[in-house]
Amino acid sequence: MPQIVSPERAESVKPLLEGMAILVTGGSRGIGRAIVEELASQGAHVAFTYAANTRAAEEVTHHLHASGREVAAFQADARDLKRAQEVVAQTIERFGRLDGVVNNAGITKDKALMLMSPEEWKDVIDVNLTGTFNACRAAIVTFMKQRAGRIVNITSVAGLAGMARQVNYSASKAGIIGLTRALAKEVAGHGVTVNAIAPGYIETEMVTSLDVKRLEEARQRIPLGRFGQPSEVAALTAFLLSDRGAYITGQTFVLDGGLTL
Amino acid sequence: MVERTIDQEVTQLIAEIIEMDPAEINPDAHLVEDLGMDSMMALEILASIEKKFRIKVSEEDLPKITTVNRAIELAKKYVK
Repeated sequence: MPQIVSPERAESVKPLLEGMAILVTGGSRGIGRAIVEELASQGAHVAFTYAANTRAAEEVTHHLHASGREVAAFQADARDLKRAQEVVAQTIERFGRLDGVVNNAGITKDKALMLMSPEEWKDVIDVNLTGTFNACRAAIVTFMKQRAGRIVNITSVAGLAGMARQVNYSASKAGIIGLTRALAKEVAGHGVTVNAIAPGYIETEMVTSLDVKRLEEARQRIPLGRFGQPSEVAALTAFLLSDRGAYITGQTFVLDGGLTL
Repeated sequence: MVERTIDQEVTQLIAEIIEMDPAEINPDAHLVEDLGMDSMMALEILASIEKKFRIKVSEEDLPKITTVNRAIELAKKYVK
């Protein structure tokens, strides 16, 4: 039997991001891939960057092209501002516009501080925090000139609560929260919103690579009793990028199953 | 386009953004230090010039908009 959809229901199932062009950094795996797929399913043209895993990037691209979705992949080191500017320019050239940026690219190099090398500290800060600065810097003038833009920064509960053996990661993610709030205030007058999402334990390679004992201990601390799914982070990202999120800025949304309550 | 017209148009655009009488603007005055402009206003000027003259100015030129005369030079560079 054909499904009859009322006009009200039809309005509510309209794609959230129809016709928008969004750039996602670190979009080939994990949370980034889920975000790319969700945004594309919501009608957006999506460009994403990847660091080195060309095969993963091609897999994402082929998968979405096969579903008739517009997607473009760019290899880019998040630490490189010039490359970020090139990717923004190429995205605009490809899709004719840029409406949002999702800063997801991030790495971990976990170690107790007493054993952490300056390089392990710097690499994580450079990719996670400076990478976020680079993508914002590359897109912000475009957003301000058109008086419209959405920035969503993927931070972490580590940036709020701190995680032992992740001083570098926690600092980078806390920095992203500060950047989010400051930039939100700075560009609000130009119609640009800037928000952050702080996921807790999300079932990705980054989390499942932790040792089994530590994983189980973590799961037991979560009131909802389970890890989150990348698709759940992606759904909130899509909302914040859409018109439905237009009155939200400078906020950090914790998505952790109650872990940090 | 006659160059004098570009001078007048750009001066008028800047005057509207910083809310001053065009006749009172010293074209060599520093927009920030002398006329109280901020970086957001520089972007407004750039966007206004682009719209008025239907040109696309490179972001790299944004920091060059320090005086009215520099803004006029920029507009002429792209209009040609």
